[in-house]
Amino acid sequence: MIYILALAVVCLIIVFVFAFAVLIPSGKEYRLARMEAKKVSYQVDIIQAEYDNVYEKLKALQADNRHIIGAYKTIFNPDRFRKMYEKHFESFSLSELSTHSKDGEFAVYEVNTSSLIQSPQGFYDFLDAVNKSDNITGINFPIHFERDANLIKSSFTMHVYIAGQKSKSHESEAENKL
Amino acid sequence: MRYSFIKPREKRLVSAEFQLLFFFFSITVGMLFASYSYLQIKTLMYESNVETLLAKEETLRQNIIDMNENISFIEIEKQHSEGIYTANTVLKESIHNLFDLVPEKITLSQALLKEDELVLYGVTPSKEVYEYLLLAPLRSIFHRSYTSYYAMPNGWYSFVSKNYLDRELAVQ
Repeated sequence: MIYILALAVVCLIIVFVFAFAVLIPSGKEYRLARMEAKKVSYQVDIIQAEYDNVYEKLKALQADNRHIIGAYKTIFNPDRFRKMYEKHFESFSLSELSTHSKDGEFAVYEVNTSSLIQSPQGFYDFLDAVNKSDNITGINFPIHFERDANLIKSSFTMHVYIAGQKSKSHESEAENKL
Repeated sequence: MRYSFIKPREKRLVSAEFQLLFFFFSITVGMLFASYSYLQIKTLMYESNVETLLAKEETLRQNIIDMNENISFIEIEKQHSEGIYTANTVLKESIHNLFDLVPEKITLSQALLKEDELVLYGVTPSKEVYEYLLLAPLRSIFHRSYTSYYAMPNGWYSFVSKNYLDRELAVQ
């Protein structure tokens, strides 16, 4: 009988030792891990909401400015440009595209043009149409008009703006992640 | 032949009390191990979950930075293009106004437009016509205007009109 009682006491000690030395610390660890998971999950929810907001904003901005974004990415094609706008002129020629400078984030290409127009209206129509072109094109000074019999000879420079490589890669990186 | 009237007690290796004790403690230890295992597994699951969430958080943060950069760049593009479109429209209006300014009596042969300068070449029937009909409006636009006249055989004058905008004065 004493033998069984002693065994029961030993077993009880083992149970208590196991409970206090292993089970309770393990329970604390579990509680901390659960709290940490909840905290991180809450943080992620907040960041996910912020991400959704920024994503919506970006998508709306991209949708509203689709033409401008595309125009800055489009490589200037002198032949296509000439074909699109020669209807405003009697004759219209473009010189070779040359790298001019950098304007902030944009590479600027300079194109010299010479043309013959019947009246200034042709030039006004061209200026209206160039704002809707495939590229971002600015007409620059000096502009020279000279009478040539019944026509007006005009020459001017255009600046074509193209988004820099760095900016382009940024944009495509972001698009890939979305 | 029987030696005893009582039935012999069956002998066991372990007693019934010991068996009861062993059963009880086995159940207790089993439950303790089960609890411990459950806690360990759940802890590992939470830790793994935290790692996944932290990785997701990092990705989201990086994507937000990239998207904000993208938004800023689109806004720069928008602002830049609007500036260019406005400049083109203003240029069109300026040229329109310039040609509207020239009276029918005066014929222009050349016009050179620079950022702060306008040079006109043309013919006028008289100096007075030029001065009243063209020079006066030009003076109201430009800060400095200089005109040279050259008499022509038919009594008319050819003229060169140079007009300047002073940037400092324009800013004031």
